[in-house]
Amino acid sequence: MLILSAILLALLFAITAALARSYHSREQGLAAEWLQQGNTDLRAGKPTRAFEDFRNSLLYDPENPDVQLHLAEALLADGRFTEARSYLLNLWDRAPGSGQINLDLAHASMNTGEVDQAIRYFHGAIFGSWEKDPAIQRRNVRLELCEFLLSHRMTGEAQAEIAGLAGDTPAEDGELREENGRLFSRAGDPAKALSEFEAALHGNPRQGQWLAEAGQAAFDAGDFLKAETYFSGADRQKPSDEIHVSLLLVRDVLSNDPYMPGLSDDEQASRTVRDFKRGLERLRDCTGTGTSSSLSGSSSSSSSSSGPPISELENLRKEAQELQKRVNLFSVGKNPEMRDEAMGILSRIEESTSSGCGPVTSIDQALKMIEKRHQGNNP
Amino acid sequence: MSDRDTPVEETPLPAKVEEVPATNARDLGLKWLGSRARALTLSEGNLFLLLAIIIGLFSGMAVVCFRIAIEWVRLGLLGSALAPPRLRVLLAPTAAGLVVAFLVQKFFRGARGSGVNQTKAAVYVFDGYVPFRTVIGKFLTCSIAIGSGQSLGPEDPSLQMGAGIASALGRRLKLSRDKLRLLAPVGAAAGLAAAFNAPISAVLFVIEEVIGTWSASALGAIVLAAVSSAVVMRSFLGGEPMFRVPAYTLAHPAELIAYAVLGVVSGVLSLVFTQIIVYFRPKLRALPDWTNYFQPAAAGLLIGLVGLRIPQSMGTGYPYIDQALHSQYTWQILAILGFAKILTTSLSFVSGTPGGMFAPTLFIGAMIGGAIGGLEHQFFPQVSASVAPFALVGMGTFFAGFMRVPITSVFMVVETTGSYSIVLPVMISNTIAYLISRKYQDMTLFDILAKQDDLELPSMEEQREQIVLRVEDAFRKPDFPPLQAGDTLARALEIAETSTEEVFLVRFPTGRWADIARKDLPAMALAHPKETHLREILTSARLPILHPDQRLDDALRFIQGHALLPVVGRAGSRKLEGVLSLPDILAAYQKAS
Repeated sequence: MLILSAILLALLFAITAALARSYHSREQGLAAEWLQQGNTDLRAGKPTRAFEDFRNSLLYDPENPDVQLHLAEALLADGRFTEARSYLLNLWDRAPGSGQINLDLAHASMNTGEVDQAIRYFHGAIFGSWEKDPAIQRRNVRLELCEFLLSHRMTGEAQAEIAGLAGDTPAEDGELREENGRLFSRAGDPAKALSEFEAALHGNPRQGQWLAEAGQAAFDAGDFLKAETYFSGADRQKPSDEIHVSLLLVRDVLSNDPYMPGLSDDEQASRTVRDFKRGLERLRDCTGTGTSSSLSGSSSSSSSSSGPPISELENLRKEAQELQKRVNLFSVGKNPEMRDEAMGILSRIEESTSSGCGPVTSIDQALKMIEKRHQGNNP
Repeated sequence: MSDRDTPVEETPLPAKVEEVPATNARDLGLKWLGSRARALTLSEGNLFLLLAIIIGLFSGMAVVCFRIAIEWVRLGLLGSALAPPRLRVLLAPTAAGLVVAFLVQKFFRGARGSGVNQTKAAVYVFDGYVPFRTVIGKFLTCSIAIGSGQSLGPEDPSLQMGAGIASALGRRLKLSRDKLRLLAPVGAAAGLAAAFNAPISAVLFVIEEVIGTWSASALGAIVLAAVSSAVVMRSFLGGEPMFRVPAYTLAHPAELIAYAVLGVVSGVLSLVFTQIIVYFRPKLRALPDWTNYFQPAAAGLLIGLVGLRIPQSMGTGYPYIDQALHSQYTWQILAILGFAKILTTSLSFVSGTPGGMFAPTLFIGAMIGGAIGGLEHQFFPQVSASVAPFALVGMGTFFAGFMRVPITSVFMVVETTGSYSIVLPVMISNTIAYLISRKYQDMTLFDILAKQDDLELPSMEEQREQIVLRVEDAFRKPDFPPLQAGDTLARALEIAETSTEEVFLVRFPTGRWADIARKDLPAMALAHPKETHLREILTSARLPILHPDQRLDDALRFIQGHALLPVVGRAGSRKLEGVLSLPDILAAYQKAS
């Protein structure tokens, strides 16, 4: 009986094995067919159909991580983030170091508003493994993370990521350097942005766009000399109204800034008196043209529709006229505090007259910027 | 070393062998072979265990073929997509219903229904006999029915097929009736283990629902059969768990409240599902016999109509459970799927279409669980996690309420998902569902179905719940302290005069007990001097002893031939706790009934 059982077992084993082989082969064929169909649909921008295809493929090859990943990506493309996340978490459990899975999870988390999770998965993707072009993939992920952080106003974290990005960027790759510079500018770190633009220009010093960006970064960093140099270069290489205006503004700052290092006391005093007078003229123009009727009328506390309140301008004018009696080349030259006081009033005048008092000229902008920069340096 | 190099001449032959005649040498050889053969001969117990492994191998392969057959039929009738073309959705289950009904009515009447009760009937009614024709019938009809989209599962039929294979092998080996009876559950466990890829759950289910006891003789064979069957299945179809589930962690103990709610809802819905089946099944069976040819087709047509809108409600539904476990449906959709499946499964089952209830039960549970989870998450996001863990827990919970196998249901969730972390919510939820189901419905579904089929099968649940009478419920304190072995015959006569007892117990210092009947005392007094110690008279007498915690059934066996037995504590057999007589036992039974 045992022998008969053994023969029967062998026979049944052979039949089962043949059936199983044939079935598995059919399954593999169907899985591949549906996977291909899904990829085609995904490429054609039909994520819903692609999702169905991948799901069918998964029916025949349920453990295939590629199909699961495709399915999750189709769900992401279809805006079904919670479902995608569920599949991706399953995949992540098995391959926590996969760059692609981490990136997809970051996308899912971004879209479900889980910022911390998204950052965590972005980092997982940056330090994860990538099958093709790992360096490029990691850079792209980091760029995306920077964009994400900037969009969430997390500038401190963004700056750290951009610094990491810059650290991994080859010195000779001007385009990537320029990209880093732009990110630094957006993250509010113009000094590092300037450094990146300069590194980019090192290999291609006549690139107009990069010159303009370097000029702007230098301007934002308060390095007007460099700004003038780069804007001048940009104006030559790639002239545009915008660059030209920026150049004029920089030049106005350079020629009017009494705080510019290296100036003699006389030059500082001369610039201060000139700037102050210019401010007074601006104030006079403003109160004399836009608000003459109001000034003589009774409603002194009212304001024009778009300008500052008349009383404020009137008070400012009185204050400035009072100061004018004391501001001259001699007093300013002898007394730096007088210079600061004059420039302080000037700043308030420019601030108050920036709207509703006619067009703001380049010199007005320059004066405003000079004082602002000075206040920034001496809080 | 070559033959040429062998020093033949130098090899000394034993002198005795040279001396004995050739015929004696042959006899000796035969004797030796005979002794070796006897050593190799298996005892019945070992043969039974070997047979269990063979049953497991056969059942495993049969189930593999069965599952492949279902898939082939599905591919042929419904196509390879999860959402089949509309015409096929309508026609496939209808046409298959006709074919299946014809096969069942003409050739395989035993293939009708789920298979669990048939296996129980084989054990308790037919001395372990399951016709092999039923195995073939189950294989064919269930493949067609399930593959065509009828809302049934392959697990219960696999269980019956395993039992049938085991029964056939047992009959071939001409095993005793007791062993044959035991073989059917062994095969059932093997079939179920392969169908579910869950050997622990299979063993537990067979113990909880088919044999009802943890008998050591059966357990070894059942475990071996289930393991060998699962190994075969995994080697052919892969060892991955049936469902792939996302990682789960219990974030806060308050989540358990949400799972308790799931337990309540699942318990109530399992009652509803049971009542639908229990109500409609006899109604359809009462129809004229010729309608049996058309009932599965009519059910198939209705299922197809439902399937046009809700294709997920057709077939086993396993791929959709997987989707629910990955939060692919909103709670509203999950609720619709759950109720649709209750409808389609009821249609399939009450129409007599062969197939099992396990898979649909898991489907319904997953969908209802997911729906409850989604609903709770919407209103109490701080208490409830995402949908997926609720779907997972829901599977086991509904199964516990519907099948009334609480332990199996817990292990089933763990085994089919490979996730142990979910076990706490599963335990809580399952217990609640089970208790609700028990409270509002006295009998289990299988017991009701058996009654409808005019079978009086033992209810495993009732057996588990039966009050066991113990010796402590029946014994009484003796009127007098027992006699000591060192007491004299005179002392025994003295006590007999003042006591009404007919039998007196005698205690020996070694813990041995003996007895003296009142009627024997006069004869003893004539035969021995009155100063004779009792130990000298009762030299070989020995009474069985009982302990208070022993079952009264066991006491009945020991009391044969004795008027009174001593009941002693387990801590020391010399201390008499009480005495027990046959009238005491009968009085206890009478009182309990």
